[in-house]
Amino acid sequence: MNANVGILEANYYLPATKKSLSQIFEDEEKPAEIFNANVDFEKDIGIDALHLAKNETATDLCVKAAKITMAKSGIDPNEIDLIIDFTSIPEDYVAPTWSAAGQVQKAIGASRAFTTAINTGGCASYQTTLKVACSLMSAHDRYHTALLVAGDKAPDLNHNYFPITVVSDGGSAVLLRKNMDTRRILGVEVATVGRLHDMWVIPGIHNRKAEDIGGRYPRWLHVCGDIQRFNKELIPINLFMFRKVMLGVLKQVGKKMQDVDYFVYPTFSLWDQNAFLKAFGLPREKVSTENMHHGHLQETDMVVGYVDALAGGKIKDGDLIMLVTNGAGFSWGASLVQH
Amino acid sequence: MKSAVGILSASCQVPKAKCSVEDLFREEGANYSPEIAARLGIKQVHLQKGAVNETASNMAVAAGREALERAKVDPQTVKVVVEYSIMPQEYLVPVWNMSNKVQAEVGAAKSFVVGFSGGGSSNFMVALTSAAAMLSENEELKTALLVTGDTTIPGNRVLNPEDPVTVLGDGASAVVLQRGAPGSVVIDTQLWSNGANHDVCYIPGGSLAHPDNIDLYRMQLDKARYDSSLKPETLRRISDELLTRAGLSLSDVACVLCSNISAQDEAELQKNFENKVSQVCATNRELHGHLQGSDFPLNYLSLVESGKVKQNDYILAVSHGMGATAATTLLRY
Repeated sequence: MNANVGILEANYYLPATKKSLSQIFEDEEKPAEIFNANVDFEKDIGIDALHLAKNETATDLCVKAAKITMAKSGIDPNEIDLIIDFTSIPEDYVAPTWSAAGQVQKAIGASRAFTTAINTGGCASYQTTLKVACSLMSAHDRYHTALLVAGDKAPDLNHNYFPITVVSDGGSAVLLRKNMDTRRILGVEVATVGRLHDMWVIPGIHNRKAEDIGGRYPRWLHVCGDIQRFNKELIPINLFMFRKVMLGVLKQVGKKMQDVDYFVYPTFSLWDQNAFLKAFGLPREKVSTENMHHGHLQETDMVVGYVDALAGGKIKDGDLIMLVTNGAGFSWGASLVQH
Repeated sequence: MKSAVGILSASCQVPKAKCSVEDLFREEGANYSPEIAARLGIKQVHLQKGAVNETASNMAVAAGREALERAKVDPQTVKVVVEYSIMPQEYLVPVWNMSNKVQAEVGAAKSFVVGFSGGGSSNFMVALTSAAAMLSENEELKTALLVTGDTTIPGNRVLNPEDPVTVLGDGASAVVLQRGAPGSVVIDTQLWSNGANHDVCYIPGGSLAHPDNIDLYRMQLDKARYDSSLKPETLRRISDELLTRAGLSLSDVACVLCSNISAQDEAELQKNFENKVSQVCATNRELHGHLQGSDFPLNYLSLVESGKVKQNDYILAVSHGMGATAATTLLRY
């Protein structure tokens, strides 16, 4: 996979309204299960407040992120050949019948583009989408510029993703372009453990229970985790799978772990970040650990971590950047970007 | 593309239970008339009637297993599972996707999964071209399993009952794709979107916009916009672009495979594609209705089994779907 596809521009949009974490925990359902980690979920998570979209729709978040990114890039919307929505939670209308990609195309005036959406990988949908987009762009001369967009709006009273994280609303966009000589995507590795498919789900209105109708919580739109299986089946393999995709992408491009100058890692929680740093012997300053104030933004975490690191001067010319994450399904993904 | 990628095998599954379209119209309170019957050209559909082994994902698993067996491919050598369903699944997409379950249950443990949304019947060709690109451009990926399962929403199988467009059946399909496959080479695909029509056909209820309105949990169609947005001329135009790029014209194509939407839809495509739409499409439409993403695998299998396609024949697959999208793929058998 090599047509020198690179990141031309990337940015994100976060709604202005914030809600303190203490208020989130006060308003939302209290988890009944026990989390087998030696932490206090509410106190140790490292996130103080979340961004809430209020009247903005999930697609509004996509469109705003896309417009910011387009404006920064200076490119004409008619230059875009592909628009791929990589949102990882339910959108304005039911998927896979509908995706926000078409609405984004209309809103930004990218009339030449083909639109689609990638609906796997959870928070790792960023990596899955990079893999598909880079492959399409490498394979076909006619795909020169791609816009990846995501917009996540959690349903009311479902920002607590115990025992993993708490989620903010927000959108992100990434413009990919061929024949770049910087910010080149050298490789992408994704791995899936499909037997965990039903450990983290949203039931849907067709599965709603009579007792939930008219109640305070529309549970059929809320995430449901099987915490016992989470403890027994996911936690023991999580770091192993991270190692697998990280070493996998390094092998693809003939690099070593020590060649990586900076890591972008999700903002699930402080203890999760600490476990990652410890497992791979990484100093805190080499990892995007300073974005906890945004809350966890699902797949958009990859964009936020990257954009903030660039803005904060953490990434320099010539640096090799690894973006690495995991997500529902479950999948793990790692990509390498050469600056 | 760096390397040629082709179809090794395909498989389709449908539920055992069948229902005549006349009975289905009665069940769904829609008016059935000889004029509507002629326009649809669908006699019956297969429906999942609660059998556990016939859920969308279980049928997809069965189709995946059969396709792998037919291709004589060890599931452990599958490197990517690509999913192309259209209807809502057992749990809400994109948090859940049946491709993960398929990966686990067919034993494709060394693969990762990718699913596509929003293209309606064009989703298969989006999946096909994306999978072909991944196999062509990534040395570590040689074999892909494309898979789907679609079961319709009860009471919502006649699309747009006031002025029916199609009748949706239940079914699943799978296709094994491999770099270096000896035949059925995926030459190229042309895709087209018009996002202004993203809401011509969609399911509003049970989403963020209408979280608790079960009455809106139905596939709804804006017929006037549907009629004006998805024109067969668009499919012909993008097919000509694709053929020109390949140095061919429609006269070089042995046959055309289309979606099994309706007799009316097919008649318009026949007109635009110089009567090259294969007879297998009409036969499958009559017996299965519109199987959404599975229409192409079903028609492809029937075409191959009919013996009417010869080695090196060019096959053109065309489809239009939600989004609004249109797609065309050129294969060399």
